[in-house]
Amino acid sequence: MAVEVRSPITGNVWKILKAVGDMVEEYDLIMILESMKMEIPVEAPQSGKIVAIKVKEGESVIEEDVVALIE
Amino acid sequence: MIEEEKTGYADIDRLHEKREIARQGGGPEKIKRQHDRGKLTARERLNLLFDEGTFCEIGILGGESVESPDADGVVAGYGKIEGRYAGVVAYDYTVKGGSMGQVGEEKATRIREIALKSKFPMIWLLDSGGARIDPKSGFGAGGGDTARVAIFANTGYLFKEESLMSGVIPLVGAMLGPGFAGTAYIPGLSDFVPMVKGKSFMGLAGPPLVKMVVGEEISENDLGGSQVHCTVSGVGDLEVEDDAACIRAIREYLSFFPPNCDEKPPRREYAGDPEALIDDRVLSIVPENPRGAYNMHRLIKMIVDDGCFFEMKPQWGRNIITGFGRIGGYPIGIVANNPMVYGGVLDINASDKAARQIWLCDAFNIPLLFLSDVPGFMVGSKAEKDGIIRHGAKLIHAVAEATVPKFTIIVRKSYGAGYYAMCGKAFDPDLIVAWPTGEISVMGAEGMVSIFAKKMLDAAPEEERAAMVAGMADLIKPHLNVKMAAAQGYIDDIIDPRETRRVLFRALEFTKNKKIYRHPRKHGVYPV
Repeated sequence: MAVEVRSPITGNVWKILKAVGDMVEEYDLIMILESMKMEIPVEAPQSGKIVAIKVKEGESVIEEDVVALIE
Repeated sequence: MIEEEKTGYADIDRLHEKREIARQGGGPEKIKRQHDRGKLTARERLNLLFDEGTFCEIGILGGESVESPDADGVVAGYGKIEGRYAGVVAYDYTVKGGSMGQVGEEKATRIREIALKSKFPMIWLLDSGGARIDPKSGFGAGGGDTARVAIFANTGYLFKEESLMSGVIPLVGAMLGPGFAGTAYIPGLSDFVPMVKGKSFMGLAGPPLVKMVVGEEISENDLGGSQVHCTVSGVGDLEVEDDAACIRAIREYLSFFPPNCDEKPPRREYAGDPEALIDDRVLSIVPENPRGAYNMHRLIKMIVDDGCFFEMKPQWGRNIITGFGRIGGYPIGIVANNPMVYGGVLDINASDKAARQIWLCDAFNIPLLFLSDVPGFMVGSKAEKDGIIRHGAKLIHAVAEATVPKFTIIVRKSYGAGYYAMCGKAFDPDLIVAWPTGEISVMGAEGMVSIFAKKMLDAAPEEERAAMVAGMADLIKPHLNVKMAAAQGYIDDIIDPRETRRVLFRALEFTKNKKIYRHPRKHGVYPV
């Protein structure tokens, strides 16, 4: 069962730090968004393997959008 | 005489029968319909709410019929939660839609009086069609019978009483079903309002009346569902999955509170060493880049016992985090800026949410922890039109007024009036310390440059201005660091982040006997 990683805020995807297939620990940085002149980290909600990245750098996201999946 | 007594006792079996009839509420069909909606009955909820076998009911024989009582749609009484008494009024949707009739309100009044006199918390479990508009047992007219219409002129005592109970005993108004009109102000006047997701609604008028009065056609859910109140209006405190989760939330919420304003919150046994250092991972929370946001929830969970944090209004006013935790078993209320949302700025909703948390904790002697990383209050024309001065003043008023132990930790930046509102030095914190990453300043370095160097910048070519600002700001930045404030003695200490729990535990212990006496007055004029 894949766990959804959701955007904590509305903003732009600035840097994607992990790729599909990467293993992550809870709280590891998956990507960084840019919003309100702040860099907003998107962290892994739990440990596992990234099975999908749903956004590209430069793309805009809305709060609660699913940006990645972890299994 | 002897004969009469015999007659009285002969009725004993009938008494037990009548109680049993009342316990069936609206009967099997209505109970089934309640279950089909994914809801529990009032009595099933009370079984979960109270410690087993502790519930004492009053007024079970109430209702229209003496021979076949239905408790008039309200189950009222008191029982124990983790060994401590609490009063309850649970509206029973299976009886007349849980509507508020005259007998039911008589019972509710009785329990309110008992809870207030004996000084234990009061809980309302709301699942009600509102005031009963009925010529026989309610407050209105019907079938040509208008004799009871005037009764309304002698109602409304519950809202007055609930207002006066506020701050004396904890008040919980839980939404487990509809609560329109009369039953919407009960949670409105409560301290804690959990709402069952997709099943509970509140509004000053339900959809039919809304359609008639303002012509708006809208569903219960869109008008006042849990999503509306927990994410948009801020009236709800917590959206929960189902009835059982709602009851668990009430029990957990009350575990942080004393039974009344005269007592201290209960300390829970804590097996670990509360003075132990937090592990090294705490050092990686605040990023080196000052523009980098970070997970303040994670920091809170590292500070409180066993990572257990009970958050209030998690989906509303998210630029500030409020809630409850324990340190070494002592309950503590938390107010923390959230750099992940709008950089943690204090806007109208964040000010409102923080002020409410401070008033709530202060009323019930729960010490307050402020975790400061705040760029200040929101500015600009929208903020001004929203009344940011009024809402910001409310927060400042609440922080100033609170006499409970107050502890401030400057985690990163603490700028402008945001520093005051997060319990800056002038607001009498019993402990004010900073992490080495802390900064205290009237505003950020760039903002300062744009003001003092305005003439110089205006005269410079536009393409050079940004570099000039950055250059001058770099000169100022080292002076914002808390090293300067610590050197002047304005803050108590700069701490290693790993010592955070230890210093807070010691502060909770040394402030145990804190007592502040203010100038007598009726009350402040709250800038609401």
